[in-house]
Amino acid sequence: MQVFLAQLINGLSLGSIYVLLVTGFNLLLLVAMIIHFSYPQVVVFSMYIAWVVLRYTGNSIPLAVLASVGSSILINLASAPIFQKIMKNREEVDINSTMVVSLGIGMIITDVLSHGFNNGLPIAFPQEVVGEAALFRVGLISLQYGQVASLAVGALAVSGVFLLLYKTRSGRAFRAIAEDPSGARLVGIPLLSTGLQSYALSGLLGGLIAVLLALMLGYASPGLGEQVAHKVLAVSIIAGLGNLPGGLVVGLALGILEALVQGYISGSWSNGIAFVVLLLVVLIRPRGLFGIKL
Amino acid sequence: MPLLLYYFLSITAINILMSWALYLPYRVAHLHFLTVANMAISGYLSGWLVQSLRLPFGVALLAGFAAGTLVGYAVSLFIGEAPTFTVVIVGFTFIYISRTVIENTPAVGGTLGMFGLPLVWSTPEGHRWTILIILGVMLLLIGFLIHRFEHSRLGRAASAVFVDKDLATSFGVDIKKLGMLLQTFASAVAGGCGVLYGFIYRSFHLDFFTFHLVGLFMTIIFVGGYATMWGTVVAAPVLYGLSLLLPPAVASWRIVIYGAILVGVLVLKPEGFITRRLAVNVERLLSSKRKS
Repeated sequence: MQVFLAQLINGLSLGSIYVLLVTGFNLLLLVAMIIHFSYPQVVVFSMYIAWVVLRYTGNSIPLAVLASVGSSILINLASAPIFQKIMKNREEVDINSTMVVSLGIGMIITDVLSHGFNNGLPIAFPQEVVGEAALFRVGLISLQYGQVASLAVGALAVSGVFLLLYKTRSGRAFRAIAEDPSGARLVGIPLLSTGLQSYALSGLLGGLIAVLLALMLGYASPGLGEQVAHKVLAVSIIAGLGNLPGGLVVGLALGILEALVQGYISGSWSNGIAFVVLLLVVLIRPRGLFGIKL
Repeated sequence: MPLLLYYFLSITAINILMSWALYLPYRVAHLHFLTVANMAISGYLSGWLVQSLRLPFGVALLAGFAAGTLVGYAVSLFIGEAPTFTVVIVGFTFIYISRTVIENTPAVGGTLGMFGLPLVWSTPEGHRWTILIILGVMLLLIGFLIHRFEHSRLGRAASAVFVDKDLATSFGVDIKKLGMLLQTFASAVAGGCGVLYGFIYRSFHLDFFTFHLVGLFMTIIFVGGYATMWGTVVAAPVLYGLSLLLPPAVASWRIVIYGAILVGVLVLKPEGFITRRLAVNVERLLSSKRKS
């Protein structure tokens, strides 16, 4: 029972990070109308930037957070003209070609991380930043600093995004574009600037996720982005592309599933088993459990 | 034959074949990365058959084709008409699953891989020529089949599906069967390529079947031109040759270079360098010359 509870806590904190990632991914999908497959790679890149800043500023956490968020927003905004040009070339919304471009961007980011940082070796975040001791421990059950932070920030950030979407003027514009881009344009919603806002917002989320991942895992590697990217796309598909509440449920479920598998089965199989479950659901329900919202 | 030339020719042939294996399902807008997983599955299976069961290379090659076909067909039953992003994620998850299974299977070397595969001919020179001849025959045969496909009713149906699925359905195109056919054929080709890929190096290692391979094949297709089979024939030797010609310090950044080329071409020349119009014009020119 203790193992189960401990893994449940692990799973919830990991799941909250998946939820944040899927929310950022879906925002871009709904408003900017792109499948930004390499969004998690942008997040991992921001983790590396935070690591560099920590190294050169004597572990200044505020500067690292700022650098992480800043770099994530910057990369997202810098990629916006590329995606816009692709969509203009095709003279229609073509999410498939944006996915290919995003895969290309992902290739570049992963290889830059493999060659440009720490000789391609995984990076480790300083113990004094990640937090060595558990905040709370009873038997096998423990609460780490990173877990609490990811749960709290995850809940706050997702609530913030939902509040923004459903209670603000910008949110209404986001939802209008997601529902009907031509109709939104007709009623005077600027598609380009609203789209750019979604890039910036998902960039902001990406920077936060990078910090949380650093706290949770304590390390990063060039291949981490690819692996997370595949899970995020799988979660989005299982939830139903663009389905924000669905992403919340499936993201948390994946986190818990992974943690439980890690708790009861050999670690080397855990990722494989998670992918088998994802694969089975995708094969049985190729259009998702909760319906596509595009 | 110089070793460098052998590697250039054989790997270029593999790259063309594998890019065709991705190109074919993309005719119905499916990015079928399952082919890379098929390469690994068939490759390791053939290595095991040859090393552990002492079966001849020919049997292992056939088994590789069969395994590719079987996996491709079984999966296509579910995703024959799935949306592109679903096909993509199925491919990626299969790559992860096959890697995990191989990593944890001592019979195929686990994380260490399989080394010292036997020669397929009695001498190393004969081995190289045999591999090259098999690859050459495969290129001609598969190229011919794809060419015939392009000029058939099925090819036109695939073009219709790529442009507008609903319209294609209303014209009576069975999208699922067409998707299944192309996915299964692509998987069969990938299975054979996986076996040959390992026998070129006479070893199998998980590093052979990474996402870099997906990136390379995708770059070949989209830079060469995704609307015709000739794009890959032009792009594969150029892109692979480029990585051999560059100084080692720059060549180690080849994935960044491929990624930049991919993004640049999609932005500036969305259909790639060999467009359908260009291919049709060249074919017309050649046929009019033949007549005159």
